[in-house]
Amino acid sequence: MNLRPYVYATGFVLVLTAVLLALPTRSAGQVKLAAGSFFVPLFSAEAGLQRARNFAASKTATREELLEQNQRLALTNEVLRIQIQQLRATAEENKVLRIQVAFAATNQWKLRLGQVIGRDPANWWRTLQINLGSRHGVREGLPVLTPDGLVGRVHDVHPNRSRVALIGDPACRLSINVQPSRENGILTADGATVFNHTIVNLQFLPAHTEARAGDPVVTSGLGRLFPRGIPVGKLLSVAPAPGALNSNARVKLAVDSSRLNEVWVILP
Amino acid sequence: MKNFYALGLLVIALLALYLANTLEWPQRITGTRIDPLPALMVCAALRAPVLALTLLAVLGSLWQTSLSADPPGISMIPLFAVGVAVSLNRRAIHTRLWGARFAVAAAAGAMVPLVTVGLLILLGRQPLLGWFSFWQLAVMSLASGLLALLFFPLLQWLDKTVEDQPFAAPYDTTTQIKRSPH
Repeated sequence: MNLRPYVYATGFVLVLTAVLLALPTRSAGQVKLAAGSFFVPLFSAEAGLQRARNFAASKTATREELLEQNQRLALTNEVLRIQIQQLRATAEENKVLRIQVAFAATNQWKLRLGQVIGRDPANWWRTLQINLGSRHGVREGLPVLTPDGLVGRVHDVHPNRSRVALIGDPACRLSINVQPSRENGILTADGATVFNHTIVNLQFLPAHTEARAGDPVVTSGLGRLFPRGIPVGKLLSVAPAPGALNSNARVKLAVDSSRLNEVWVILP
Repeated sequence: MKNFYALGLLVIALLALYLANTLEWPQRITGTRIDPLPALMVCAALRAPVLALTLLAVLGSLWQTSLSADPPGISMIPLFAVGVAVSLNRRAIHTRLWGARFAVAAAAGAMVPLVTVGLLILLGRQPLLGWFSFWQLAVMSLASGLLALLFFPLLQWLDKTVEDQPFAAPYDTTTQIKRSPH
């Protein structure tokens, strides 16, 4: 058997791998962008199919179904309008109080809805892809959430899609606040949480923590990456460590990332 | 015509990677994302020349990592190693036996992610690993074996479609018959 082609090919693959792994982050991102462009026709075709399915579904729905859906939506709309009135009153009160105590006003969120178009093919990362990119105003580091709570942050941005690092991924460690006790901690993930994507570890709580299972966990706003007060989840268990410098806990996330179809990105 | 076969192989790889990236149900049922490339590489290595295997390893790895948080091309070496190992030993593998195809692809399905994770750790990355990773490895291995049963007839059909003759000669083409001058 002629082994020469195998030797040449092995040399080529080894050199190429060494070059690719030695690339700086920016160049590695550009290589990924170029390689990912092969998938653009497939993602576009899927989006077109989705639109066609929605169009067909809207055309084939019966009058009874549409009336029932309309009634349901009208009822939800009524409830939401009442809640908005209540929130508006609270916001006014908040504004007055902020002026009285000379506290800086918070900005309104500028949201953009994105669809989940893919998930990380590797089992050792927690990321997903959305159909919003730099052309839609998305930038690296922007928070991503759903009405239930925080999902993660934008990690890589391409022109028409972005990769979101989910809570628990090594690229998305975040500072949180446990609500009643107002204690801060850092959310991370390790091997113990691989089996369940909705459970993450909470580290660096005070040694004599007052946090209890069931306490709500929200973003602390420290580091200015995530706005303060976004729901993250609830404490599942707390392991106080009186002799140690700090104690750990486990958090059940509010959002099950494996079932996400749509997410909101907070634009700058 | 050889180019058509290599092109067809790459198209199958692209589609398989796209499906693995977008299909939700394998992860919902098993908690594991399935990697189609090791099975495809094993089936390709049983028929295709080293050029097609190199293309599959390079482009397949780059495409896969473009959808992932992995550094670009991290799985290139393990994929290529699987391809070369199978290609060099193709005559020792009973490709007509389903069990043989399954076993080789299952071994490749376990080897590729293991080496990839090893490389990631060597590069200083922190992949999420735990006891559950053993289960994921077992599922990936099993799925790779099953995918090989699907890919093998597909590549056989592709080979027959674009080639008049088998893509790889079933005998050693470097052997020369020298006749005596007498």
